[in-house]
Amino acid sequence: MTDTSDNDQAITRVIWHSDEQKNRLKSRYRKEKIFKFFAVSSLAAAMAALVVVLGSIIITGSSGFIETRIEMDIFLDKAVLGDLPTDDRQEYEKQVAGANINRILVSSLQREFPDVTKRSDVFELLRLFSVGAQTDIRDVILKDPSVIGKTIPINLLASSNVDMLIKGNISRDVAENDRKISDQQIAWIDKLNNDGKVTQGFNWSFFVSGDSREPELAGIWSATIGSFLTLLVTFLIAFPIGVGSAIYLEEFAPKNRITDLIEININNLAAVPSIIFGLLGLAIFINYINLPRSAPLVGGLTLALMTLPTIIITARAALKAVPPSIKEAAIGLGASHMQTVFHHVLPLSMPGILTGSIIGMAQALGETAPLIMIGMVAFIVDTPGSIMEASTALPVQVYLWADSPERGFLEKTSAAIMVLLAFLIIMNGLAIWLRQKFEKKW
Amino acid sequence: MVENMNMQSSKNEIGGQQKAITPKMRARKVNVYYGENHALKDINLDINPNEVTALIGPSGCGKSTFLRSLNRMNDIIDICRVEGTITLDGEDINNKSIDVVQLRARIGMVFQKPNPFPKSIYDNIAYGPRIHGIANNKHELDEIVHSSLKKAGLWNEVHDRLDASGTSLSGGQQQRLCIARTIAIEPEVILMDEPCSALDPIATAVIEELIDELKNRYAIVIVTHSMQQAARISQKTAFFHLGKLMEHGDTATIFTNPTHQKTRDYITGRYG
Repeated sequence: MTDTSDNDQAITRVIWHSDEQKNRLKSRYRKEKIFKFFAVSSLAAAMAALVVVLGSIIITGSSGFIETRIEMDIFLDKAVLGDLPTDDRQEYEKQVAGANINRILVSSLQREFPDVTKRSDVFELLRLFSVGAQTDIRDVILKDPSVIGKTIPINLLASSNVDMLIKGNISRDVAENDRKISDQQIAWIDKLNNDGKVTQGFNWSFFVSGDSREPELAGIWSATIGSFLTLLVTFLIAFPIGVGSAIYLEEFAPKNRITDLIEININNLAAVPSIIFGLLGLAIFINYINLPRSAPLVGGLTLALMTLPTIIITARAALKAVPPSIKEAAIGLGASHMQTVFHHVLPLSMPGILTGSIIGMAQALGETAPLIMIGMVAFIVDTPGSIMEASTALPVQVYLWADSPERGFLEKTSAAIMVLLAFLIIMNGLAIWLRQKFEKKW
Repeated sequence: MVENMNMQSSKNEIGGQQKAITPKMRARKVNVYYGENHALKDINLDINPNEVTALIGPSGCGKSTFLRSLNRMNDIIDICRVEGTITLDGEDINNKSIDVVQLRARIGMVFQKPNPFPKSIYDNIAYGPRIHGIANNKHELDEIVHSSLKKAGLWNEVHDRLDASGTSLSGGQQQRLCIARTIAIEPEVILMDEPCSALDPIATAVIEELIDELKNRYAIVIVTHSMQQAARISQKTAFFHLGKLMEHGDTATIFTNPTHQKTRDYITGRYG
């Protein structure tokens, strides 16, 4: 019936021990070795790049989490502070807030350095300390009214320049005019340092305070909250719309030219530069709908537009990955199309959809350009209380600090990048965890 | 020997009742196209109640396509087009007045690869009754799950782990779970698409026994590649070849005295 018998004669028998076969084997092994070498070296190159990037960020940024403080004996002079009403807490706080703390600091400094008398020298001395030092003194007075009139040691926040000098970021070898700190100031710091007054500690305020013009006072809290609110808006808008469109396109939409066109456009949208979305957000949400500028609402809406294609594409892939046998089982039992999708396909694809969405969100978290376009790039100290208030976001904060001339902002920039990376790693980790936990095997 | 006896007895049975039986399903001039491909050509076949009808034939001959036309499973394939009439109790199933969802509940289906939902055994069975509102309360649902598993011969094996995932069962158990799931909604016809092809001989024997029992309650159509299986469990056999129904009739006749040379070749293993 078949003509296999004819073919048999045409095929010459292979001699497995011949030299030709041995060479063939050798060449195969060689090719495998070369391939392996290229694979390993490209992986090594990628790892090296990662190590260099992360390493440089960590080396520059880790000192951003450290602050320098100088302990000074502060005489809380009653004559300067005035007669504070210790019984009435509210009135007390009000008067402390208005007290001339600066004078207290200056007079205390003059007691420590009696030889400094010239007005300009006093200013130089005062500049060793951050403007935040006054807050430190005020906090002590607020905490315990009994200290008034006494001389107590207070750990005062040093200025950014001192901080940089202590951390070795300002070189003493540079000519005096070329550095931000004078020889006189260095002499004072060395004296204080020898007395053991200069200490370094963890910079908690970096995490709990907002932006500031002073590097030593600047923190990421307001930017973090801004990012959080922005992402919240993004998620609430992009997730339902994205998953909804994915379900419709994948499961219900007729396959015709219009859906093909939509599909092509969605794929193209995913590749559109993010700044275009920023311009779109600016034109539509701010100029046309008149939503407030710099608000997380607008940022979230803009990022939602940007994230939508990602979510739609990954959600469709997840829906497609559900084995057709499960669909057939449900349909064969008399489940309607919608029941099949919502009872079986969607739950089974949820891990994939969530993973894709979280990765889309992580992308949105790191997005800077569209936020700059809609004005979230402003210098904002206050933490936003709602999605309508002006705010900034973490990556924009990084951008702002990277743009600042002060040396102190360099390490703050890297520190903020580290925090941003930490958030991204957490989000990606969450995505992996979700996928592994809820992925069903069949 | 056993095979022959079975065939003999079924033949007698059917021979005696032949006139009284009205077909449960009737296919007339059924043509199916996949795009340009003419997959089924002018199929005329009756499915009798309380009988197992086996569809045999070489791969790609259209027997699965025909099976899937019977409960309009082909609807979900976009490029598929079905012509001709298929009736269930005299009603055209492709008629607009027929609700396809309800139709599929009346004509259950068991697939080639066991495909339990990745849910608990209980939920696998309870899903059908739930969506069709068959059980009025939890107690009734429990009862349906119990009786379905019992009818599928699975109760003794799984009664203590109804919460376990359906996918944790062995292949044969999974297939019986799928059968239990199908009979939980009390269909009138059960379509089986090579239900044993993924199973070992022991599991196959169990399923075959089950099919033999189930035919007392349902009309069963089974696609199979195993001649022995067709001979063992079916009362009617239809031989498909290249999209045509070459021959159909009593299993005993087809296997012992086929009219067509092709049928003879296929059955004796010289073809296919």
